[in-house]
Amino acid sequence: MKKAIYLVAALIIFAAGANIAYDSVKSLNIARCLGCIAMEPKAVKFEEFWVEYPDHYNNKGIPPHPDWVVNASKQKVVMLFFWGPSCEPCERQWEAMKKADLVKGSEENGSITANFSYIQLFSINAPYDDEKGEAIRIYTPKGDTGTPTTVILFEKNGTIYWYAFSGEANGEGGRPDINELINILEKAKEEKYDLQS
Amino acid sequence: MICNLNCAGCPLAYLCIPLAIGAFIALKRYRGGLQKKRLASQLSFLLISNAAFVFGATGLIYTYFYCWESPYALMACPIGVLEHAFADRSWYLLVYLAGLIGFACIIFGRAACGWACPIGFLQDLAKGRRTKSKLDSKMRLLKYAILLAIPPVCYLTEKLAYTDICPIGGLTATLPYLAMDPNGYTFTVFFIPKMINVAGFFILIFLMTRGWCRHLCPVGAMMAQFNKISLLQLKYYEKKCIKCFKCAGVCPMQINMPYDNRSGECIRCGKCIDICPTNALAFEFRW
Ligand code: SF4
Ligand code: SF4
Ligand code: SF4
Repeated sequence: MKKAIYLVAALIIFAAGANIAYDSVKSLNIARCLGCIAMEPKAVKFEEFWVEYPDHYNNKGIPPHPDWVVNASKQKVVMLFFWGPSCEPCERQWEAMKKADLVKGSEENGSITANFSYIQLFSINAPYDDEKGEAIRIYTPKGDTGTPTTVILFEKNGTIYWYAFSGEANGEGGRPDINELINILEKAKEEKYDLQS
Repeated sequence: MICNLNCAGCPLAYLCIPLAIGAFIALKRYRGGLQKKRLASQLSFLLISNAAFVFGATGLIYTYFYCWESPYALMACPIGVLEHAFADRSWYLLVYLAGLIGFACIIFGRAACGWACPIGFLQDLAKGRRTKSKLDSKMRLLKYAILLAIPPVCYLTEKLAYTDICPIGGLTATLPYLAMDPNGYTFTVFFIPKMINVAGFFILIFLMTRGWCRHLCPVGAMMAQFNKISLLQLKYYEKKCIKCFKCAGVCPMQINMPYDNRSGECIRCGKCIDICPTNALAFEFRW
């Protein structure tokens, strides 16, 4: 009798828990935390913005940029920062961007500083943001969900130009460090608004 | 997905080659009626654990140890969920985790360790040495200490503190990714500690039978005490017993059999049942 009571109690807790937490656990399971595997993918060093997928991507052709990205990139240079909860490289990159006065606030409620008002930032909690989180798959070379992933985009004459890398912006493995990241953003501004001398 | 025998270019090679080698070694080692069934179960769970290439990642949680960062992990790691609950203050995750572990273990006790866990399977294949250390009973408490330390450390640091150094993650996630793309990564500061722990794990499992499960596994610690109240029990019929102690001789957890048949250390592998000449031991479901 005692065991039956334990079993029913556990079943009720399990059912209630699954009801409230299944989706969160699924999101966490889908998100690939690069910090957790203690490795971060090498990236292709920035040389110029891409229009189509470059060779190191599994996909080919022009990426299916979501509408909200396309619309924002018409207005400003767009930076997508995909992060995950308790993702240490994500936190480190955010803190480094904060220190460089590029962003302010937290990953969750972050925004761009006045110095970089030409940028529209989307800081996206990849596993939990149902609307925007899925877009990470468009911009990772293998179509996966490794956080952090950073994407810079802008629109010019109807064409979307972009550059992306997964892993922390720490200057290793072809990834830019924060200064280089800022240079890439500046370059995007120059190209979008034809500011080159 | 059909095998084209091009293992070098196949993302599943890290799984299917060890599976084939494991099955080959295991066929010779698993003697006895229950052991053949157990082998079939362990192989099936190894496959199920990595079935995301068919079903995608789900919101289920393994009731054993396997890394959810593994390339084709189907479910979530119970320790990873525990860490997120405390590091992110997502307390509702604890309800799900406790309910699932409680429900499975009230029925089966710690049987997932003997019948499902791929890490347990690996240790069965490694067939570590039988040791008689005086420290053994104290070292078994280490896994409880690790389990109890994870919540406060994750809460205080707001980090996945165990994940950073977890050898099971190193073995089932980091190494497969590295095998699939050896030149594709840079390493974080946790890579070396993780690999040292993976090496330590292998030394341990060759030195001691089920050395990891006995001394260090926090998931085993989560499940162990359910053995006392689970429906599935290892029954001991003293009147039939001729005190040959063959059961103690084969027990991979080195339990003091046949007297300690309700031990939290028992992984319900059934080796003692298979070897007992008088059928003095049996699995029974008891309400
Ligand atoms: S104690 Fe061993 S068999 Fe059980 S979950 Fe841990 S590693 Fe797996
Ligand atoms: S193997 Fe069977 S008969 Fe021998 S000691 Fe164990 S329970 Fe008793
Ligand atoms: S007591 Fe029997 S069932 Fe339990 S771990 Fe030892 S051999 Fe396996």
